[in-house]
Amino acid sequence: MARIELKGVAKRWGDVTAVEPTDLAIEDGEFVAILGPSGCGKSTTLFMLAGIYVPSDGQILFDGAEVNDVEARDRNVGIVFQSYALYPHMSVLDNIKFPLRFKKVGADEAERRARSAAQLVQVSELLDRRPTQLSGGQQQRVALARALVKEPKLLLLDEPLSNLDASLRLTMRSEIRGLQRKLGVTTILVTHDQVEATTMADRVICMSKGRIEQVGTAEDLYHRPGSLFVASFIGSPPINLLEGSASGRALRVGQAELALAGECGGAVVLGVRPEQITLGSGPLRGRVVDTEAHGRETFYHLDTPLGPLRALEAGAKARFAMGDALTFGLGHGLLFDPDTTRRIDGCVLESAVQ
Amino acid sequence: MTVALDVKAAPAADWAELARRARLRRRATTALLYGVLALGSLPILVPYLWLFTVSVSGRTGASTTVLWRTLAILMPALLAWSILRVSIVEPRRLLWTQLALAAVTLGALAVVTGPYLHAQNWRFLWNSNIADTLKGASGVGGAFPSVWTAFGNSLILALTQMTLVVIVSTLAGYYLSRFDFPGRAATLKGLLLLHAFPAMTLIIPIFLLMYWIGLLDTLTGVVLVIAALELPFAIFVMKGFFDAVPWDIEMSAMTDGASRRQAFYMVVLPQVKAGMLAVAVFAFLRGWEEYVFVRTLLFQKTNWTMSLYLFWMYEDVMGTDYAMVSAIGVFYVLPSIVLYVMCQKYLTQMSFGGIKG
Repeated sequence: MARIELKGVAKRWGDVTAVEPTDLAIEDGEFVAILGPSGCGKSTTLFMLAGIYVPSDGQILFDGAEVNDVEARDRNVGIVFQSYALYPHMSVLDNIKFPLRFKKVGADEAERRARSAAQLVQVSELLDRRPTQLSGGQQQRVALARALVKEPKLLLLDEPLSNLDASLRLTMRSEIRGLQRKLGVTTILVTHDQVEATTMADRVICMSKGRIEQVGTAEDLYHRPGSLFVASFIGSPPINLLEGSASGRALRVGQAELALAGECGGAVVLGVRPEQITLGSGPLRGRVVDTEAHGRETFYHLDTPLGPLRALEAGAKARFAMGDALTFGLGHGLLFDPDTTRRIDGCVLESAVQ
Repeated sequence: MTVALDVKAAPAADWAELARRARLRRRATTALLYGVLALGSLPILVPYLWLFTVSVSGRTGASTTVLWRTLAILMPALLAWSILRVSIVEPRRLLWTQLALAAVTLGALAVVTGPYLHAQNWRFLWNSNIADTLKGASGVGGAFPSVWTAFGNSLILALTQMTLVVIVSTLAGYYLSRFDFPGRAATLKGLLLLHAFPAMTLIIPIFLLMYWIGLLDTLTGVVLVIAALELPFAIFVMKGFFDAVPWDIEMSAMTDGASRRQAFYMVVLPQVKAGMLAVAVFAFLRGWEEYVFVRTLLFQKTNWTMSLYLFWMYEDVMGTDYAMVSAIGVFYVLPSIVLYVMCQKYLTQMSFGGIKG
């Protein structure tokens, strides 16, 4: 168990910068997720923590001590790779025991620890099999047992669920979460799946193009996104982003005039989540272009004076049909600066204040 | 307007008839396949058969009586076997008829060729000074070394060369697969070029080189030369095999506490075992069959390999005893065939490794 700290850590490959100088602190026993699209530097960050890559700049601290030049094998870090990376020529038991071969652990003790790790992830019946004889979910469990058997300071999970089918992913999600709580091991999960990140982790670190965009809880990221990237990356269906111009307390978007709480000026981007649009009442008028039934909720495509909008309404049955005219109102709306892409503080739609 | 198919108007399909025709077609195809393969393999197999039959039946000079008699029995047997395979479907019955056929064939062979068989031509195995026992031995070359000396030399040559090639190509293949270094692309191209280069053209420079180094007329010299010529291809094959091993398991081993070297031995190497075996077999066969370089670089009789022994047996004695030459030929080729048959499974995996730049 350890407190992990990054101070200005960066990674460059020749002229290409994979990770910009990054500061980050992860508390002992915390479960954080690094979330971002592929190529955003999240896996590079993970491999720097594991000791596979050496950072080009900055310091990595484990419990306050710099580990930049400590080799991967001495860091006591457990990794679960996306491909699971089980050793194909070894049985499941030997796979789990493998990390203990490099520690001063007696044969009996190693056997006992491997078996209890296997029990922890429920693969005790599979110990004699080869990895190729296991299903994806079983391989995943074995990889987890192998990472945990050495009682690591830090557990790193690199897209661990992306190769599993949907229902198994759900099970493994809660199992990994439960295991982490039980063992209290500091854990970092790397994923491009926002649901995975927000449901499993205490805190989510949202990355893009080698930079940390925002660090926060799932709620923070969803309701108070710090930048346009976070706003558009988190949430499904995605947020409505509309270009407009503000002057004082008035905001003009398309043909519509909206009132602002707080003052700002110049070009802005208005962000409204689909479920923040209330249909059937409100000051604005629009027309339904298309509806999609999603079972629990209904999804509308609207044509409005503001421009095309996506709206989401709870309830299985569509209240409006294609072609219907309707009135609607905007709830919580956020403003972003299109130049810096950051959110503008202290300036929201007036309706959001009520 | 309805476009529904008028099912009743169509003639009722005669399923039984269709099935009968399909079965017939399948059998005809199989029979044709067997026939073509049997014919195609004849020119490959008959020389071996010739070599073998002459080696166990020829008396000073090659008589082909036994060969023709053997063929006269084997050909109909082969034909009968093809027909059996095609016509009998039930596995147990097929097994028994095949065993019966084999017994009949062997019996016929024993009756027809039995009286002609003898082991005289194999006396080189136990008679160390074979040249004196030959008809009309002129003594041109003096005493022959024992065949076992030549056998031992060939074995030493093939095995040391094989060991060298496997070790170097494994390490070099790993490095080329995993590490980037200046000139990597040029190295890969160079390897291909070296592989394509005809080695015969190097024979004079190699001779001079060996002379200057002082390795002329030593097995060590030949081992080094053949290993050097065999290496480019072997390295390429091994690189292909290493390319197929995912990085992940190596990184995983290193975070599990292994050093890079331990990760290589404990995790990566077991994944390329098939490749190493394939390279080993090819290197061994190359060393075992080597003729040109041993002929050029070795002079002393005690340094003879099997190929030289065979050559001098043919060349150095007045009136070549083809029967004994055949026997030596069989003795010489047997290890290759045994090895090849044993490792066939792995050799066909060669293509798995593939060649990636």
